[in-house]
Amino acid sequence: MSATYDVLYLAVGPEIILTLGAVLVLMIDVFRKPSARFHAWLVAGTMVAAAVVTWFQWDRVSAEGPFLAFSDMVVIDAYGVIAAFILLMVGALGLAVAWGMVERLGRRGAEGIVLVFMAIAGFQFMAVSANLVMMFMGLEIASISLYVLAGITRERPETDEAALKYFLLGSFASAVFIYGVALTFAGTGSVSVYEIGAFLRGNLVLEPGVLLIGMALLIAGLAFKVSAAPFHVWAPDTYQGSPAGIVGFMAAGAKVGAFAGLGRIVITAFPLYDTEWAIGLALLATISIATGTLLAIAQSDIRRLLAYSGVAHAGFILTGLTVGEAGMPAVWFYLTVYTVQLIGAFAVVAVVAGPTAAGSPLSDYEGLSKRSPFLAAVLALFMLAMSGVPLTAGFVGKFGVFAAAWRGGFEWLVIVALVASVAGFFFYLRVIVLMYMHEPAFAEAPGTMRARPEAVGALRWVLIVAVAITLVFGIYPSPVLDLVGKALPF
Amino acid sequence: MDFPILTVLILLPAAAALLIALVPERRQELILPVGVALSILPIGLAGYLFFAFEKGVAAFQFVEKAPWYEPWGISWHLGVDGISLLLVVLTTILVPISLAASTTIADRLKLFVAMVLILEAGLIGVFLSVDLFLFFVFFEVILIPMYFIIGIWGSDRRIYAAVKFFIFTAFGSALMLAGIIAMALMYGTQTGQMSFDYSDMLQLSMSSNTELWLFGVFALAFAIKVPLFPLHTWLPDAHVEAPTAGSVLLAGVLLKLGTYGLLRFNLPLFPQATVKLVPVLAVLAVIGIIYGAAVATVQPDLKKLVAYSSVSHLGFIVVGIFALTSQGLQGGVIQMVNHGVTTGALFLLVGMIYERRHTKTIADFGGLARVMPIFAGIFLFTSFASIGLPGLNGFVGEFLVLLGSYTTLQPYAIVAAFGVVLAAVYLLWAYERVFTGPITKPENEKLLDLGLREIAIMAPLIALMLVLGLYPKPALDRIAPSTEAVLDRIVSVTDFEVPEPGRLADVFSREAP
Repeated sequence: MSATYDVLYLAVGPEIILTLGAVLVLMIDVFRKPSARFHAWLVAGTMVAAAVVTWFQWDRVSAEGPFLAFSDMVVIDAYGVIAAFILLMVGALGLAVAWGMVERLGRRGAEGIVLVFMAIAGFQFMAVSANLVMMFMGLEIASISLYVLAGITRERPETDEAALKYFLLGSFASAVFIYGVALTFAGTGSVSVYEIGAFLRGNLVLEPGVLLIGMALLIAGLAFKVSAAPFHVWAPDTYQGSPAGIVGFMAAGAKVGAFAGLGRIVITAFPLYDTEWAIGLALLATISIATGTLLAIAQSDIRRLLAYSGVAHAGFILTGLTVGEAGMPAVWFYLTVYTVQLIGAFAVVAVVAGPTAAGSPLSDYEGLSKRSPFLAAVLALFMLAMSGVPLTAGFVGKFGVFAAAWRGGFEWLVIVALVASVAGFFFYLRVIVLMYMHEPAFAEAPGTMRARPEAVGALRWVLIVAVAITLVFGIYPSPVLDLVGKALPF
Repeated sequence: MDFPILTVLILLPAAAALLIALVPERRQELILPVGVALSILPIGLAGYLFFAFEKGVAAFQFVEKAPWYEPWGISWHLGVDGISLLLVVLTTILVPISLAASTTIADRLKLFVAMVLILEAGLIGVFLSVDLFLFFVFFEVILIPMYFIIGIWGSDRRIYAAVKFFIFTAFGSALMLAGIIAMALMYGTQTGQMSFDYSDMLQLSMSSNTELWLFGVFALAFAIKVPLFPLHTWLPDAHVEAPTAGSVLLAGVLLKLGTYGLLRFNLPLFPQATVKLVPVLAVLAVIGIIYGAAVATVQPDLKKLVAYSSVSHLGFIVVGIFALTSQGLQGGVIQMVNHGVTTGALFLLVGMIYERRHTKTIADFGGLARVMPIFAGIFLFTSFASIGLPGLNGFVGEFLVLLGSYTTLQPYAIVAAFGVVLAAVYLLWAYERVFTGPITKPENEKLLDLGLREIAIMAPLIALMLVLGLYPKPALDRIAPSTEAVLDRIVSVTDFEVPEPGRLADVFSREAP
C-alpha cells in the first residue's frame, strides 16, 4: 500500500476546479450578464486548469505511485487519471458542440455550462472513488446533471419526455446500485473497495448468495448508465428527444464514468469472484451486442440508430472487461476513440437538425454528400469507424477488446461480437447509402440551412479534431496504447 | 537503408488520391487526365520491381520491416515474391486503363478518381503485406472504395449490389480476423511474444484439429472473395451493377485476392489441413467451373455473361492451386494474371458498347461487325484469349492447370476440361449473336467504331495477351521458385508426396529440378 493522506487537495483537484468554475459561471451570470464570448473564455480556463491539475496528479502517480486520500475515499492512480483526461476531452468536445445550444438558450445558457461541469466532476469522482458510497455520490452528481441537461431547452414535449424518462429510469438504476452497495456491505462489512477485496481474500464466504446479489446489483446499476441491454430502454427515447447539441456529451460522458466505476468495482473489490462476474458481463455483452445491432437495423431516426449502436458498443466494451484487468487497456482505448466518434457523429446531427431540435429522421440525410460534402464525409468516416473498418481508430479499439477477450478464454463471445460487427454494417452503411447514393430529396428552398447545413465555429473544430483522432489513432495507435497500458486500477 | 520501393508503391496512389483533391472545381475536365497521368507513375515502379526482381529466389524480396505496435507484434512488413509480383504489376496496369475508360462518369468525378486510386493503394498493400495484421487491414480497407464505386456510380440496382458485396466479404473476413487473433495469441503462448508476422506464423505448432478450424476460417474468407460456388451470389450483382472501371478492377484484381490468399496463407500455414481438404475445395471449384460456364451460356446480358465466366475461370485457378503440383501452382498464378487481363478487357469492351447503345442485352445487337470491325476484331481476339487459344495467354494458364491437376486430381481435371469447351461455347456463341449476320436493329446501323482513345486503352491488354501467350518464360521464371517453396513446405510437413511428373520447377524443360 502506498501513501495515504487524510486531506490532500490534489486528489480532488480537478473536481474542485470544475465545481469552482461552475460556481463562478453561475455567480457572474447572476450579477452581470456576460457575453457568450466571456463564457467561452471562462469555460476554456476552467477546463485547462482542470487538465493541468490532472497532469500534476499524473506526474505524482508516475513518480511516487498511486495514493489514497480523504480517509481512503479517493484513490489517485493511473486508472483514475486516464479516466479524468478522457472525461475532460469529452467535456471540452461536448461543450463545443453544445455551444450553439448554449447561445440559443440565452439567459439559461450558463446553466447548461454548469451542468456539464458538474456532470464531468461527478463522473471523475466515480473514476477515482475507492469507496462504493463515494462512487454513488459521483454517480448521482453526474446523473442528476444529465437529467436536467436532457430537458434543458424545454421547447418541445419530446424533450420533456426524454428528460422525464431518463430521470425516472435513471433514479431506479441509482436505487438498484445503492441497494447493491447495501447488500455488499451486508456481505462483507465494508463499502471500501480495498476492504471488500481484503475481506474476501481473508475470509471464506460459505454462502455468498447475498454478496453475489449485491455484486450483480452494482453491475446492473452501472450497466444502466452505459446503456447495456437489457438496461438500455431509456437510451433511444432520451437520445431522440434531448437537444441535439448535448446528446453526444450525455452519451459519451456516461459511458466513460460508468465504465470506470464498473472496472474499479469488479477488478478491485471482487477479484475472487472473477468467474462469476466475468460470466455476468459476458452475458450482458452478448445481449447488448445482439439487441443493439438488431434493433439499430430497424431505426428510421439517426439518433435512435446511434442509441442502439451505443448499446452494441457497450457490449463490445464489456467484451473487453470480461477479462478484468487484462482487458482494461483495450477498454480505455475503446472508450477514448468511441466517445470521440460519438460526439463527432452527434455534432453532425446537431448541425443537420439544428442544435436544439428533437428528432433527426434519416431522410434528412438523403443526398447530404451533394448538399454538404464535408459533413457527409465526416459522418461517413464516423460510421465506418464505429463499424470497425481498419485504419480508423474504431478498428484498433475493437481489435483490442477482441484480442483481450480471446486471450481470456471468451472465444465464443469474440465470435458473436465479430458476426454482430458484420451485421452492424447494415445500419452504418445505410447512413452512407443515404448520404452518398441517394439524390437530395429536399423540399425546402435551396440555400437555407436545412437544405445545405454547414458546420461553423467551434463545431467545425470539433469535427476536425474528431476526424484527426479517428484517423491518426487508427493508423498510429501506439502512443495511446502505451499510455492506456499503464491505466490499471491500483 | 535502401530506397523503400514497396512503401512508395503503396503510398504513391494514396498520395495521388489526395493530389486529385487539389484540382480546382472549375477545371472539371482536368480531373480524369490528371488521374490517369498520376496512376501511370506506379507502373514505372512496378516495372522496375519486375526487372530488378531476382529470379530463382523463393523468399520475399525488397523486404521492409518496421514495428507498428510492438507489444502486439504488429509490424509494417512488406515484401514481394513470385506469387505477388505479377499481381502487383497487373494492378498498376489495370488502374490507369480503367480510369481512362471512365469518361462517361460526370457525377462527383473527383471522388471517383480518388476512390479508384485508394483502391489501388489498398490492393497493392494486400499483395505486399507479409504481416497478417497488415494484410487484414488492407484486405478490409479495399472494401470501402469498392463499395463507393459500385454504390455511387453503378447502374440501377447499385445500392443492393454494393451492400451485398460489402456484407458478404466483411462476413468472411470477420471470421478470418478471429483466426488471425487466435494464431497471434497462440504464437504468444508458444514463444512469449505475440506476433502477426507471416514468417513467425510458419513456425507455429498446432494440433491438426486447430489447423482444420483455422484453415476453415481463412478458406471461407477467401472462398467468398474468389468466389467459390456456392458463395458466388454477390459476384454477378456486383459486377453487373458496377461501372466499367469497377468491374474491371473487381474481376481483374479483387477476385484474385481470394486465390492469392488461398495460395499465400492456406497452403503454407495449414499444410496438413490443405492435404486433407483438397477434395472439398476441388469439388467446389469444379462445380464452379461447370456451373459458371453453364450459367454464362444462357445469359441474355453480355455483362452478366462475362461475370459468370469469371466464376468458371476462377474455379480453374483453385483447381490448379489445390492440385498441389508444380504445374498446377504455376498455372494457377499465371492464370490469375491472365484472367485479370482478358476479363478486364472483356468488361472494357462491354462498357464501350454500352456507352454507345445503353444496353447490354445480347438480343439488342446483331451484325455489329459490319459497322464496328475494329471492335469486333478486338472482341474476338480477347474471346480467343479467354477461351485459351494456343499462342494467347489463356492457353498457358489453362494448359498448366490441366496438366498439373491431371497428375493428382485426375477425375476433376477431366471434368474441368469441359469448362474450356463451354468457354468456347458461351463466348463464341455470344460473338455470333452480337457481331455476325445482318444488322437487325436500325439503332445499330450508325454505331461508331472504336476511337483512338479506346484503341489505346485496349492496346496494352492485347499486347499482354500476346506476350504472355507467346513467351511466358520471364513470368514463370519469377513465379516458379516461390510456388516450389510452397510445395516443398507441404511435402516436408505432411506425408503428401507429389507423384511424377508433378514436380518440375521449369515446366517447359525436360530437366528435373
